[in-house]
Amino acid sequence: MKKDYYLEKLYNSKKPLIIYKVRNGYDLFTDFSEKIILHKKNIDNFFKKVKKLKKLKPSNKFCNMYIGFFGYQLLCNLINVKVSRQKNFQFPMGIFYKPETVVKIRKNITIRSSLRNFRNLFDNKIFNQTKILSPFKINIDFDRYRNIFNKFLINLREGKTYQIKICTKYKNKSTIDPVSMFWKLMKTNASPESFMIKDKNYCIVSCSPETLIEKKGKFITTKPIAGTLRKTKNINIRKAHYFFKNNIKETKEHNMIVDLERSDLSKICKYNTVKISKMKYVEEYRHLYHYVSEIRGKLKENVTTKDIITAMMPGGSVIGCPKISTLNLLNQQEKESRNIYTGSFGYINSELDMRFNNIIRTIINFKGVSEIAVASGVVIDSSAKKEFNENYIKAKSLINLFR
Amino acid sequence: MIYLIDHQDSFTFNLVHLLSNYDDVFVSNYFEIDDIKIARSNLIVFSSGPGTPSNYPKTSYIYKKFKGKKKILGICLGFQQILYNEKGRIIRQDKIYHGHQSKIRVLKSSILFKANQSFKVGRYHSLKLKEPYYSKETLITMRCEETRVAMAIENKKDKIYGFQFHPESFLTKNGKYIIQKIISA
Repeated sequence: MKKDYYLEKLYNSKKPLIIYKVRNGYDLFTDFSEKIILHKKNIDNFFKKVKKLKKLKPSNKFCNMYIGFFGYQLLCNLINVKVSRQKNFQFPMGIFYKPETVVKIRKNITIRSSLRNFRNLFDNKIFNQTKILSPFKINIDFDRYRNIFNKFLINLREGKTYQIKICTKYKNKSTIDPVSMFWKLMKTNASPESFMIKDKNYCIVSCSPETLIEKKGKFITTKPIAGTLRKTKNINIRKAHYFFKNNIKETKEHNMIVDLERSDLSKICKYNTVKISKMKYVEEYRHLYHYVSEIRGKLKENVTTKDIITAMMPGGSVIGCPKISTLNLLNQQEKESRNIYTGSFGYINSELDMRFNNIIRTIINFKGVSEIAVASGVVIDSSAKKEFNENYIKAKSLINLFR
Repeated sequence: MIYLIDHQDSFTFNLVHLLSNYDDVFVSNYFEIDDIKIARSNLIVFSSGPGTPSNYPKTSYIYKKFKGKKKILGICLGFQQILYNEKGRIIRQDKIYHGHQSKIRVLKSSILFKANQSFKVGRYHSLKLKEPYYSKETLITMRCEETRVAMAIENKKDKIYGFQFHPESFLTKNGKYIIQKIISA
């Protein structure tokens, strides 16, 4: 009971904290001894710092890690793709934290900290509650969406892209209580890559479903999702599988992403080690089914953390294919910065093992504005109306959290 | 050594891994072609990629420079690049194949493959060769069973080969066998 009391107090304190979904529960990180705000010029320094993690004392191993995110623009910069001038609200391109306290929330709660006084918490009297100050507005209406859609269809016919994701955003003026919003979201939609960040000047609540990188020792795995089906009473997991298998559009979209991820892994893996370990299976979520594959490889000797990040990010399944050409088309089209959307959240630890996701299905609150970005794929058989509506369905479950 | 020109596709490294079964593969970006290394190679491969052959004049230059002197293999865009330089016209097709698995059949004109042999292959292309296409040297050697679109070319004299489909795709069932035929040609 005492430990729960600590958590309650922690949630209500001003302390920045991160909660991250793991297989059998949640990990909570706080007492950050370092906060690195990334930009173009210090990114190489960051990777140097990551390398140094290895040398730290083994007694502190449980918190020898950097946890945080790379924004979309930073990932583009890393692979030399230009992002033209866009409206942005001056949100950092990436932030990583070094935690000193880790709480493992499972059936039991275990707390480990390298600090002595980590339990000293002060109540935050002016605690933010979730309040809507203006209704949600979409940044691209259907007419504009259709124009962009038709433009990209021509690009598809010209062979400049094979699949491209148009991003639309819903925004309102609001304040957020991220912790209770996150737990509320986890009750209905505990996606495997969910996370929450609460910091002094911003917060993020996410139920991202997709693992982009999982590296353990010499092995690296990616689990691309391509294909979404809404749950109804008449559908079970077997029927969902039958639907995906027989739906030519979904199958082709999925095939494309599997070949793309195989190629991305092949950049950093030993010859003939890249294998599709699980082919086209269905994962069940509260409101939908996803069509997923798992691809695995054994890393080459001397591959660095930066090599891995630049080979894999931004994730193909949330961008489109082929990556470079499609990113260029997107960046010419989009007038508003994606911020964290289609960026990547995760951690790197002292073994240089890592886990990173694709940031989608996410609310970011910064400077009194909440933003939900969504996207759906344009392939040759898509229809503008359907994809536009699918975007709304994707945003809706997050918009509902404000009620 | 195999020299592979990457037209910035997202499938290139699948091809690199496939080719690496036979020889060392050197990959360079389209924008950074290494003249010395390419002159030393014994097979030049043009990768797949977005866009159309006229977007890649340097690849056309390499093709003309080494035609007849080195073995050349083109995949997808690379296949179209070869035809484009052999007076073929590359046009849009009505039905577009991205991530599609098709059955294709070997024609009698093929020297490397047995006539009538059929393969299941992965396709990623918006454009195709405009037909009728006539050439004395560059022969169409495979076609899609359903649409009859040209799927492979062979130029025996100059050892120039091309595939419209992707031998490296997981959708292609005999990719290794197909590449082996080119290596031993």
